Amino acid sequence: MTDVPNESISSRLAKLKSQPVVLGIDNLGKTYPRPDGSTTTALAKVSFSVHRREFMTVIGPSGCGKSSLIRILAGLEDATSGQMLLDGKPDSGPCPDRGMVFQGYTLFPWLTVLKNVMFGLKMGGMGFDQARSEALQWIDLVGLTKFADVYPHQLSGGMKQRVAIARALANKPRILLMDEPFGALDAQTRAQMQAYLLQIWQNVNLTVLFITHDLDEAIYLADRIAVLGAPTPDIPHGHLQEIIDVPLARPRTPEQFTSEPFLATKRRIEGLIHKRVVPTMVEPLPMIKLTQVGDEVV
Amino acid sequence: MIRSSLRRLATVAIAVLGLGAAAAAPLTAADALKVAYSDWPGWVAFDIAIQKGWYKEAGVDVEFVWMEYVPSMEAFQAGKVDAVTVTNGDQLVMGAAGKSSKAILINDISFGNDMIVAKAGITSIKDLKGKKIGLELGFVEHLMLLKALEANGMTEADVTLVNVPTNDTPQTLASGGVDAIGAWQPNSGAALKSVPGSKAIYTSKDVPGLIYDVVAVSTESLGTRKAEWANFVAVWPKIVAFIQDPKTKDEAVKIMAARVNVPAAEYGLLLPGTKFFDTAMAKKAFMPTEGLDSVLGSSKVANAFNLANKVYEAKIDPAAFLDASLVQALP
Amino acid sequence: MAERWFAVRRDLSPRRQTLLTVGAFVLPLLVWCVISYVPFVWHPLITVTNPGGSSFLAKDMMIDRGMFAAENAKVVAEGKPAAEGYRSNPVFLPPPHAVGRALYTAFLTPPVRKGEPWLHESLWHSLTIIFWGFTAAAIIGVPIGVLCGTFDFFAKLTEPFVDFIRYMPAPAFGALMVAVCGINDGPKIAIIFIGTFFQLVLVVANTTRQTDRALLEAAQTLGAKGRHLVLHVVLPGILPNLYNDLRILLGWAWTYLIVAELIGASSGISYFINQQGKYRNYDNVFAGIIMIGMIGLITDQVLAILGRVLFPWQGKPPGKLGKIILACVGLFRRKKVAV
Repeated sequence: MTDVPNESISSRLAKLKSQPVVLGIDNLGKTYPRPDGSTTTALAKVSFSVHRREFMTVIGPSGCGKSSLIRILAGLEDATSGQMLLDGKPDSGPCPDRGMVFQGYTLFPWLTVLKNVMFGLKMGGMGFDQARSEALQWIDLVGLTKFADVYPHQLSGGMKQRVAIARALANKPRILLMDEPFGALDAQTRAQMQAYLLQIWQNVNLTVLFITHDLDEAIYLADRIAVLGAPTPDIPHGHLQEIIDVPLARPRTPEQFTSEPFLATKRRIEGLIHKRVVPTMVEPLPMIKLTQVGDEVV
Repeated sequence: MIRSSLRRLATVAIAVLGLGAAAAAPLTAADALKVAYSDWPGWVAFDIAIQKGWYKEAGVDVEFVWMEYVPSMEAFQAGKVDAVTVTNGDQLVMGAAGKSSKAILINDISFGNDMIVAKAGITSIKDLKGKKIGLELGFVEHLMLLKALEANGMTEADVTLVNVPTNDTPQTLASGGVDAIGAWQPNSGAALKSVPGSKAIYTSKDVPGLIYDVVAVSTESLGTRKAEWANFVAVWPKIVAFIQDPKTKDEAVKIMAARVNVPAAEYGLLLPGTKFFDTAMAKKAFMPTEGLDSVLGSSKVANAFNLANKVYEAKIDPAAFLDASLVQALP
Repeated sequence: MAERWFAVRRDLSPRRQTLLTVGAFVLPLLVWCVISYVPFVWHPLITVTNPGGSSFLAKDMMIDRGMFAAENAKVVAEGKPAAEGYRSNPVFLPPPHAVGRALYTAFLTPPVRKGEPWLHESLWHSLTIIFWGFTAAAIIGVPIGVLCGTFDFFAKLTEPFVDFIRYMPAPAFGALMVAVCGINDGPKIAIIFIGTFFQLVLVVANTTRQTDRALLEAAQTLGAKGRHLVLHVVLPGILPNLYNDLRILLGWAWTYLIVAELIGASSGISYFINQQGKYRNYDNVFAGIIMIGMIGLITDQVLAILGRVLFPWQGKPPGKLGKIILACVGLFRRKKVAV
């Protein structure tokens, strides 16, 4: 394990925080109407900022409102209170400046890999030839040049998600929003994709807001982690608990998973997430005496 | 090709938008006389003159359109043809619905081709008491059944009528759902052929003149193109002679059989059930007498039947639907 | 391990699939043959060959078996010679060989009547009626359906009325269509149109509604808006399903043909069937029905193969015939494709 002095990590984080804010989240809240006329608050008073070149992950248990949060940031839903600021200016609605990668790949099945990546460029009014050559560069970046003329149904899950990333990046977004993008992949592919993503992030001038419910993933990828909390008896809605700096050096390596700073961060987040979980009464399971079953089988 | 295709598309679009009435151009004098005819021996006979080119010889341009019976009446009522072949009773029905027309030609009377066919074991009208009879209500078979019941001292109340489309009567009798059916050829013959032991217990031969088959011309067309219609009428006696002359009879049957797509031998059997009218018979039948010997008398019976059965409620004058002048002018 | 014939939601081997497909046609044919040729199966009637001493029976008459036996018993009791006959089926069910012969001769027999179309000309005429009626319905119906499926405004504006009118029997408009479109092909095309158009609008609207919402959202985050969403996401997204909808609706068009062709001037294959039915020539009726069935089946199969060629992204193998088509249009396609 590489022993990185603590000061260099904290100075890096300090430098990062001095960068201009790309995405400002100001008291954002989301309330849904219920069929009986009352309302449910999914998320309330969430405020934090994502700085330029930052990789930020958002983590929280189910029901904490992280899906609502990213859908609002992507412009797919409207916030019911507060606002979002892109480069300091209030912004809403879907827009290629806030690129999005979904868990379900969402590639257009009728378009080849190349045409999928060209889609946003063409929508932005770019001519065919230029769009094609730019798209090919992005496809090259995610390592799929050989598959440019292939339809999505012929690709594996990991390859599809790489195409989706290339497609979002082709629009040169100010920030890339990622909604549990590796949630549907198997463990090995997922690890590969995390490595790929960090490489891309390193090579491209990119700011990322990444949602996940996987602690290891959140820590491994992020500079900072926003921990959201699920509703509790005290706070009956999803809310921001804390923003945690990740005390790990870059570039990240798999060895860091077992390093003490990593494990300490993990324990800290676990403590935050589980802190308010009230044990509930569970029906006792019926006891089955294995010997009896065994007797029957024999 | 493309242009006609586009026009078809346009027609459909217009029809659906309900603007079609404007597109329906009236028939003009320059066109051929359009006559809709259908599957009945008395009318299939027109095919002889068509195939022989007799109308051209007579100097009249006639376009015959082959249709099903009910659609032919619809086309006539919609003004898409100048004339239609119908029974005198149905001519009144169209008249009550607002289409005024004149019968200018009598083709024939049904002489056995309209039948009440009963299943095995029923041999007379009297046996029908309390039985189920399938026929098309309000059509000529219904009228004929009432006449048959009347002749046997019975009324409609003595039987149960089931409304069955004439085309479906053979199957209906075969299924055993009814005890008898009323139908005209070829359906009546089909019923006899396909239902074992069935028998025609009453036919139009028992009430000759109940059903006259005529050519009804729209009043407008007759008014504006009477000379052409006179030429049209003048061809008919030639057709009748061709059918009745033993020397040409076989050829006549062959032509008629071809029209309806059946073997000539099979079709020949239908002819005796139709009594073709030559000029002398037509002149007599056009006289304004009472009783079934004249079209007028027959139409009055049909009118009374139609009113009694609420086929229509309009008061119409059967005499206004006849124009004997063209037949009377024939030699 | 031996392959199982019954495995839940598992495909059978191609050989077994072919075997079953062939069987699906052979089995009904076999049943038909048994009913027609094995004298003790069904055959509820007796065709009289010799009336014997009966005054009631006649040669070639078809009579119920029980009645024939009763009549014969009576005749024999009177000391007269017994009637003879053989068991037969009603005329409504012709035997396969008669239908086969009818199918064969129907195309080879010139029309008896001068100026009458050959059977293949009648068939062609029917096909043009279907084509125009259905094409008109699709050209007008698909855009309306897509609009209804995309914008609630159009759905609420048109769908309740379309839903109401689609229950009206198209044939009932026959007389009106004659009044509007004349007596030739117009009213027939109009009936096919009315029969398919309203169903088509609703089916297409529903298919459009099944557009994957996630794809729409993805497109929005990539900068697609309004018209572009419809043209570049909704339309291509539903295209394969739309194509299948049209295939199914084309079948509906055929069911309306049989009534459409009896409106106005009689014509086409269904007039042939109707006319032959009136004169109880059921071998010809069956031949006509089988012709329609075959045309339907063949068009549907060709369209299915074409569908695989047209929509390669669905990942269904185009098959041998499809590959040939693909090879033919290969160059042409490559140039045409655009985002």
